[in-house]
Amino acid sequence: MSIEAVVKTDNLSKTFAGAVQAVSALDLAVPRGAVYGLIGRNGAGKTTAIRMLMGLLRPTGGRAEVLGADLWRARRSHRERVSYVSQEQQVHAWMTLEELCCYCSLLYSEWDQTYAEKLAGRFGLALGRQVGLMSGGERRKAAILLALAARPEVLIMDEPAAGLDPVARRELVDALVDSLSGERGQTVLFSTHIISDLERVADYVGIMDRGRMVSSSPLEDLQSSTRRIQIVFQGDQVPEGFRLPGAVRFETSGPVYTAVVRLTTESDLDGLGERLNARVNTFPLGLEDIFIELFGPDEFTTEHTESTEGRSHE
Amino acid sequence: MLHFQISPSSGVPVYRQVMDQVRYYVAGGQLKAGDRLPSIREMAGALHINPTTIVKAYNELQHGGDIEMKHGKGAFITEASEPRSRAEVETEFRRLCAALAASALQMGLGAERAAGILAEEIGRLGVGGKQ
Repeated sequence: MSIEAVVKTDNLSKTFAGAVQAVSALDLAVPRGAVYGLIGRNGAGKTTAIRMLMGLLRPTGGRAEVLGADLWRARRSHRERVSYVSQEQQVHAWMTLEELCCYCSLLYSEWDQTYAEKLAGRFGLALGRQVGLMSGGERRKAAILLALAARPEVLIMDEPAAGLDPVARRELVDALVDSLSGERGQTVLFSTHIISDLERVADYVGIMDRGRMVSSSPLEDLQSSTRRIQIVFQGDQVPEGFRLPGAVRFETSGPVYTAVVRLTTESDLDGLGERLNARVNTFPLGLEDIFIELFGPDEFTTEHTESTEGRSHE
Repeated sequence: MLHFQISPSSGVPVYRQVMDQVRYYVAGGQLKAGDRLPSIREMAGALHINPTTIVKAYNELQHGGDIEMKHGKGAFITEASEPRSRAEVETEFRRLCAALAASALQMGLGAERAAGILAEEIGRLGVGGKQ
């Protein structure tokens, strides 16, 4: 059984002038109804990938599709099924929020004014206020309100929680949960570096690193396949040359060996204690720890290049 | 509505945490056969988590025979909320004990004393989970 991918990239690549490869051979597939969280360090290529999906940037290779079409050429009737919250809010600053709602209601045939007003109340936004006079956080909430009230089939958000305080982030999560609980299924793709929010709402997680997708799976698969393991050997030293298959990083201290391991199945560790004649403990890892363990500083000391994403905003 | 609490960053899948809490309340007597669980929407709203996660937890609970989903009415605790095999129950309990065992070792408690404390705690809950 194949699952229909609503948001899809196929070998997607983008090289900017000066040969900066922001995205390389990216394969992404977001099934219908999924909430897909994209994480990666600054400069990993998340924004560039999202902008190509939205048809705002031409790829140098490969394809990007939303609901079966390339948004660069799609008709308006197709585009209106997709909402986008960009990193910079490009709303018309001189309009009031109410005027913006009116403007959007003309562009989106499924526009839900009652819902827009409900969200404004929930976010504490005054409809009569000019968007240009709002704070950065309020403008972001306004952009999210506009995106949700369009009742899109697909919602794509680039760092929606950036710059929001914890209370506002909780409001955002609740608005999203509420929107997802609706009758009509909704597919969501968002990038974030605030991992605790993602763990509440995402059912799929993709990890991008230097333009590539290095891991893409249901969140619980990632959680259950990555463990911290501790092996306490008898005696006072870890045996010379001991290596644990699947260990991503390890350290030893006296008789204690600790590592982060990626398992193919849970039973990989069965009987390990008996075989090694040692005491074995495993610990679950939260997503943030998984991310840091897999892509932490050691990985980046030599060849990490800063902020290719920054260039994509021009 | 009973208080449910999850910890998204614990590394234990969230649907699993929801299932564990429902079972915990059943074991403790706060949820009884015939009681209705919060709707998926209520539960997702209260826990601030994706509704599909609640759907998954409820489906798994139904699969395990702990609850029954009646279309349009909601999810209810079943009469026989313990059709799971002895082996399954033991596997789950062992999983919980593994963390406790590690703590006991770290704190320098012997196996015997740790088992004693567990027995005392079971005693404190009383037979049938009543206080």
